Amino acid sequence: MGFSVSGASAIIFVGMFISFGMVYTAASNGYEAVSEAQSAAQEDALAQTNTAIDVVNASYDAATDTLVVNVSNTGASSLSVGRTDLVVDNEYQTTAASSAVEGDAETDLWLPGETLSFTLTLTASPTRVKVVTESGVAAVEVL
Amino acid sequence: MASASASHLVLFIASLMVAASVAGTITNGVSQLSAAIDDQSYDVSGNIRTDVEVISDPGGPVYNRSGNENVSLLVKNTGSRSLPASGDALDVVVDGQYVADVAVTPLDAPDWSPGSVVRVEFSRPSLPTGDHRVKLVVNEDEEIFSFRT
Repeated sequence: MGFSVSGASAIIFVGMFISFGMVYTAASNGYEAVSEAQSAAQEDALAQTNTAIDVVNASYDAATDTLVVNVSNTGASSLSVGRTDLVVDNEYQTTAASSAVEGDAETDLWLPGETLSFTLTLTASPTRVKVVTESGVAAVEVL
Repeated sequence: MASASASHLVLFIASLMVAASVAGTITNGVSQLSAAIDDQSYDVSGNIRTDVEVISDPGGPVYNRSGNENVSLLVKNTGSRSLPASGDALDVVVDGQYVADVAVTPLDAPDWSPGSVVRVEFSRPSLPTGDHRVKLVVNEDEEIFSFRT
């Protein structure tokens, strides 16, 4: 009798121990994944709050078919030129080859206070220009 | 005396077998529960990391841009994970009506990675003049875009 009870208890105890190990691992991994995602989302929200841009001017030169858009970073966070998008009359423009920060076309950093200028060739005069930063903060200029 | 030890031995083996089956059942149930927690947390963290923004200019033309009665929207991935650039991954509702056939075209990258833009295009034949409302749902992230035709 004595051996049966203690033997059975030992087996059940070991089973419980293994179960707890599995649940604990899953729960802590899950919690870690979710809290990491939340902190990434909070960082993005902070960067978005610190971002502000302003279209200084947008001008179209009919003689050379060029549109020049100057945008100033008036916020407090540094932005990426590659992740900044230009939409002209709701047409997405590929800006990789046509952008320069304070005259420097090589850099990808657009720091607070600096002016980013886009130069692109358009056959017709546009009416609306929209610049969108990586966090979704946007500025519209009507020509 | 010998018969007593034999019956004790039988009872001992029986109790071990019952205990082992109970422990096996509990472990099995708990391992399924752990797998479910794993899957759920993966989904939840993916939903938290997903954020998109409609960057189309509502003041510019959105409907019937190329004469084929399509609504075309530019949608930017502002979250921290890549999203599949296909119509299956996003749900579109226009003026309360679900749109089944949605085309998604990446514009500045081969996929829909963070920071890149896709064009979401779907057909709405003869949309009446007036105000319209588009709702985009990607991984439980909802965006509302209103425009006028």
